[in-house]
Amino acid sequence: MIKMAIYGKGGIGKSTTAANLSMAFAKMGLKVMQIGCDPKADSTINLHGGRPLTTVLDLVRQKGKAVTLEEMVTVGDGGVFCVEAGGPTPGMGCAGRGIIAALEMLEEKNAFAVYQPDVVLYDVLGDVVCGGFAMPIREGYAEKVFLITSGENMAIHAAANIAMAVENFADRGYASLGGIILNHRNVPRELEKVQELAEDVHTGIVGELPLSSLVQQADEMQQTVLQAFPDSEMAKEYEKLARQVLKACGKENL
Amino acid sequence: MQLRMKQSNRILSTYTADVSGVCSALYEMGGMTVMHDASGCNSTYNTHDEPRWYNMPSMVYISGLTETEAILGDDEKLARDLVDGINGLHPRFCAVAGTPIPTMMGIDLSGIARLVERRTGTPCFGFKTTGMQSYVVGASMALEAVARRFCPETPKKVRSGKPSVNLLGVTPLDFSVTGTVEALRSLLTENGYPVCSCWAMGSSWEELMQAGNADVNLVVSSAGLTLAKFFREKYGTPYVVGIPMGEALTGEYLAEIDNAAETGENRYPVKGGKIPTNGKAALIIGEAVWAASMRRAYELSTGKPAKILCPLELDGETLAPEDLRITGEREIGAEMAKSDLVIADPIYEYVLPKGISFVRFPHEGYSGRIWRKEIPVFVGKDWDTWWETTNF
Ligand SMILES: Nc1ncnc2c1ncn2[C@@H]1O[C@H](COP(=O)(O)OP(=O)(O)OP(=O)(O)O)[C@@H](O)[C@H]1O
Ligand SMILES: [Mg+2]
Repeated sequence: MIKMAIYGKGGIGKSTTAANLSMAFAKMGLKVMQIGCDPKADSTINLHGGRPLTTVLDLVRQKGKAVTLEEMVTVGDGGVFCVEAGGPTPGMGCAGRGIIAALEMLEEKNAFAVYQPDVVLYDVLGDVVCGGFAMPIREGYAEKVFLITSGENMAIHAAANIAMAVENFADRGYASLGGIILNHRNVPRELEKVQELAEDVHTGIVGELPLSSLVQQADEMQQTVLQAFPDSEMAKEYEKLARQVLKACGKENL
Repeated sequence: MQLRMKQSNRILSTYTADVSGVCSALYEMGGMTVMHDASGCNSTYNTHDEPRWYNMPSMVYISGLTETEAILGDDEKLARDLVDGINGLHPRFCAVAGTPIPTMMGIDLSGIARLVERRTGTPCFGFKTTGMQSYVVGASMALEAVARRFCPETPKKVRSGKPSVNLLGVTPLDFSVTGTVEALRSLLTENGYPVCSCWAMGSSWEELMQAGNADVNLVVSSAGLTLAKFFREKYGTPYVVGIPMGEALTGEYLAEIDNAAETGENRYPVKGGKIPTNGKAALIIGEAVWAASMRRAYELSTGKPAKILCPLELDGETLAPEDLRITGEREIGAEMAKSDLVIADPIYEYVLPKGISFVRFPHEGYSGRIWRKEIPVFVGKDWDTWWETTNF
């Protein structure tokens, strides 16, 4: 089993990329679990034809400890196991603590032992604003962190901050950087700027995704690109990225 | 107005918290134990949960967590303080245990422990206590963690004579400091069973590290069960669960130690006693291994069955399906009303329905020092002597 977390600036394409990667892994014959760690709870929505999932925290709210795995984990397109951590009502409560509670509940119910995924993908809210959003990279959770960025300054800035947090946490036995995924927005000097970032944070660019209108079209259809346009160039790009990501995890033969 | 809230207590108390359980288990091991909590919260431990505080030194501290540190997530302050503490005190190990505030903030204490260990070279533990579970949970995780980290491989030796034993799950929270631990040791040695180590009262570190040499482990409280399972996995040592209360039970108990050593199987001399099926019977409230031992001793002494009500999280593998795992004053009161005799800590007497007999047995992990003088020595024939005073 390889566990990875995807971080990056808000709106940069984490969930879209994660869902397409999950589909690509599934197509390779791997068992995949995607865990959305964002109160918006929209990480896996396009693996479900746009139907929102009942989140772990909603279930905990209703049922307490009696909640079952079958309720928390649903099977989406490509057989991907989908989980949404969920969170409090916006403007209230503590979202970070919510992520922790949700992930601990999955652990308590032995989610990995029961579903035995080959790949686990944590899709984590944009900025690591508090301890809870670092939970997916703590020991026992993700082993590798992938940063998604474009060449836009704000995205690069956010990625650099997250890389720094990962580095700071190294002494605690947390996840290490797997590399950068460049999601193109076609801004000037894009590759060059992201290469600079990679050097600064001592990692490499594991793969690139072009800006493609198919992504938004698929989004409109509430599907992943791999589901909506399986034979498209863009689908092939995601499949290529999936292989590159596995390689970066040292698991190309998974 | 009538209060109809479930799971709420008007009179009953709470059991000592998990974080105190960690401190209590580690107290005599030469480590530095830090509760990560606001300054002042240490007094709960040292004035209510730790009878050894005033006559036996130990390095138990509070981190003095402040609001600013909590808001800013200043883990570095805790890490620095731990490093300073270690460098000044040279403890054998360092343990940091969580409380409600760090739990709500989601502080990763095991991550911080690894960081401090890297900086100092001193073994560090981060315990995921919350302050919302009971001491059995904390003591259980602390004992197991120390053994897992430090107990060396030991060559299997050939036994001559009676099996040697370890006592597992011994803290003042279950045994107080009123002579029971010493009496248990003498009972065993006088009958020819050498005591290798006691986890963790009255044993030196060197003795604890010899635990792998024992032939049988004695789980004398539910806090010792996880440790026993670990020793079983590491050394193959079988365990016996129970406390030898009264002469009759002691005979059976010692025979089961021989049995365990002979067969390599775990034995439960306090399990499988009579369970009341209908009609009124005795109700024993408290920690599971103590309660099961009490039930067996009671049965051997009176021929009558008893039911157990265990409000704590762990059960020591001694409870029957008919026994009760409930908390909450109303629920407990209702169960008392169905019995004819209750054996429990004196606090429970305050919610005892009318017309039901009560035998007081103070429990340090519940009522603290209030009735400590009343706690009898409760092993071997001392239990019989105490039982006679109850006139049942
Ligand atoms: N390679 C791409 N080409 C074109 N559009 C893209 C590409 N990647 C992502 N998008 C679009 O960008 C938008 C934001 O994507 P997404 O929701 O995946 O971002 P996110 O990082 O998960 O956001 P948030 O931080 O809010 O969770 C979506 O409309 C998506 O369709
Ligand atoms: Mg998203």
